[in-house]
Amino acid sequence: MNDPHKPHPTPKQYVQIAIVLGVLTAIEVALYYTEDIVGIFTDPLLMILAIGKFVIVVGWFMHLRFENKLVNRFFVGGMILALFLFAIVMLERASGNYF
Amino acid sequence: MSDHGYPHEITGVETRKLGMWVFLSTEILFFGTLITTYLIFKGRSFDGMRLEDVYDIPFTSVSSFVLLMSSLTMVLAHNAIEKSDQERTNIWLLSTALLGAVFLAGQIYEFTEFYHKGFTLDVNIYGSTFYVLTGFHGAHVFIGVVLLLILWGIGVRQEGLSLEGGMNLEFIALYWHFVDIVWIVLFTVVYLI
Repeated sequence: MNDPHKPHPTPKQYVQIAIVLGVLTAIEVALYYTEDIVGIFTDPLLMILAIGKFVIVVGWFMHLRFENKLVNRFFVGGMILALFLFAIVMLERASGNYF
Repeated sequence: MSDHGYPHEITGVETRKLGMWVFLSTEILFFGTLITTYLIFKGRSFDGMRLEDVYDIPFTSVSSFVLLMSSLTMVLAHNAIEKSDQERTNIWLLSTALLGAVFLAGQIYEFTEFYHKGFTLDVNIYGSTFYVLTGFHGAHVFIGVVLLLILWGIGVRQEGLSLEGGMNLEFIALYWHFVDIVWIVLFTVVYLI
């Protein structure tokens, strides 16, 4: 069930969230063009920004933070399985066994 | 959907809604597999062109922004139907479908440009993984646009939608936001990193 203690955002708050998403996207693009200055921090920063945008859309637009724990478990479970698969394949890639 | 629970369901969640989330969970694995496959070949040397030789970051950035804003219009449609504001629901639904169509048009234009520049589906295995990954995402956007238009058509014909129907606005909204979060990952992994 939805958590009655956490009211859904208002339309004005949704617009504010969208502005934040737009600003984060602009920062991502700016980071891409300033890679020479930012250096080795570029890729980690891009990943952090993408994760931030992902969490905002899932939490607020998809209302996952207001949802039943079971729903959260299914979504997070899918994420964990996908990341597990990714980790296994990348380890194999690094070992040079198959790829 | 309304804030009351579903005590008659063992899980406490409406079964259709739970089914939708389980479906999205399997979609995470689907795209997770495609992204992993793409990353295996990213950064390796192959004969032929690479994406870095042909892509246009400003263009793709605008496309990404358009898709992000379609998530805003989608959530505003959901908010409007919760308040039984049918007029705004229809406006926001149609806006979402139009923004999705703009994103798709951008992707078709981008693919056509890449093709003419020589970055084709069979240029090398890296090219193949790029087109399969972004193409499947585009197919999901297309399905989403069709579903939105069908829902909008039902709303116009029946003079209003409800959150109780089989083809429910909330489920399509969940699907649409999912398509958006996949693109958030793809934009970073494929284009920016």
